[in-house]
Amino acid sequence: MPRAEPGISTVTDTETDSGIDDGIRSGLSRADGAVIAATLVLLVFLYGTFWGGTGAADLAHFHTADGREFSVPLDADRTLELRGPLGISVIEIRDGQVRFVASPCRGKQCIHAGWLKQGGEFAACLPNRISVAVRSRDRHFDSINF
Amino acid sequence: MMPGTRRPRRLAGLTLLLFAILAGGCGRDEPRQAYEAQFLALGTLVKVSLWGVDEDQGAAAVRAVEAELNRVHETWHAWRPSTLSDLNRRLATGETVTVDEETAAVLAEAQRLSRLSGGLFEPGIGALVRLWGFHSDDRPAGPPPADETTARLLAWRPRIIELEITHATEAEDTVWHLHSTNPALKIDLGGFAKGYAVDRAVERLRALGIGDAIVNAGGDLRAIGRHGERPWRIGIRDPRGEGIIAALETRGDESVFTSGNYERFFEYEGVRYHHILDPRTGHPARGTLSVTVIHADAATADAAATALFVAGPQDWRATARQMGVEQVMLIDSEMRIHVTPAMNRRLVFQSQPIPEVIVSAPD
Repeated sequence: MPRAEPGISTVTDTETDSGIDDGIRSGLSRADGAVIAATLVLLVFLYGTFWGGTGAADLAHFHTADGREFSVPLDADRTLELRGPLGISVIEIRDGQVRFVASPCRGKQCIHAGWLKQGGEFAACLPNRISVAVRSRDRHFDSINF
Repeated sequence: MMPGTRRPRRLAGLTLLLFAILAGGCGRDEPRQAYEAQFLALGTLVKVSLWGVDEDQGAAAVRAVEAELNRVHETWHAWRPSTLSDLNRRLATGETVTVDEETAAVLAEAQRLSRLSGGLFEPGIGALVRLWGFHSDDRPAGPPPADETTARLLAWRPRIIELEITHATEAEDTVWHLHSTNPALKIDLGGFAKGYAVDRAVERLRALGIGDAIVNAGGDLRAIGRHGERPWRIGIRDPRGEGIIAALETRGDESVFTSGNYERFFEYEGVRYHHILDPRTGHPARGTLSVTVIHADAATADAAATALFVAGPQDWRATARQMGVEQVMLIDSEMRIHVTPAMNRRLVFQSQPIPEVIVSAPD
């Protein structure tokens, strides 16, 4: 099953080899270069994560019957099959939206919820104990009323 | 250590320090202030949003909210074994039932709101709700009840305002008694219990010193305080299912509740039957897709949204005035949007083109 966790990747400690290179008297060592490069890459990443949200890069956040929680980015189309106590619920991600397409419950309220695309919207199949909430990085709304 | 290596190392150290400050600044700025959690309670998905708390305070607050919602749910569940189901069974036999103050107060408040609504919010029709199959998490497929069956039940005129609530002093303690002479009275606090639970949850948050929060139970919410420098932003979902029809920013302490025909329903032979029953006809109320009410307390907003849905596009203004709610949006089955002037000032419609909006004051 495709899954991804939002988060910040860790930086390896580049300082350990910096004392070995003693040939450079003026300017920067290779270690400095590595640290600066890593810093620039991470700054771009962090800027994008915390300030650059345009609302296009959304995530679907799942809770499943076995207590697992995970997020899947909405930028790649795919179909997920998640198992609950009643059987398999089928969830489709397409064009930056997510929806239940099949679920073994009788009421099908999860399917009636339709496509979710605005941050904060959610749908759940309570009988099968699977829920999905859409998270928008620009956090346009804090909460959705319906 | 050789002198030549000192400078580059110090530079590396400084760069790392610079990075740590910048990265720390990025990472901590907003996310540490905002805390969100979701869980299943009240038979739906609950989302709690908090501002200005750290991880530990947030987690403790969410646990308190969850415990409070579960307590109310277990007390007032309409069809699983609960304090209410036990109460209904005993009242039907004509027994006088002793209850605690909170139970009596909840029922008295439900009576008050039912009276104000002219009986359009009617928590006495639990037997009718059961007849329609909505006393189930997952209604089995099948036809709606026969008209004769619903008519026979309505002939009993089960009404919550006829529940007798009295109190007496016994050994210096006040005890509360409930009594009903109508065996068809089956109390079902759908359209009220969720609002009451949300009110209690917000009370718990305040007791923990939290002044900026949203408790959203399956789309119905109460928001207190602000999201830092700005108000909380709420999106009201289009009752046809997709997208946001209008946005609003909450002020201080407000509940936003919507009753919609899309929340619970079943289909039989191509006809859709939703769960908001008109106590006058015994059938799902017609003519309305959804009603959204903004009011200070969630219990009133919940009951008013239900009553105005039943009142329908013609009569909702009179019911709104009687119930003292000033901010209402009703979307009728033709997708016309009826709003009070006070509500119109609050909403920013999102869809293009902007839908037809009819502004009129409560009668």
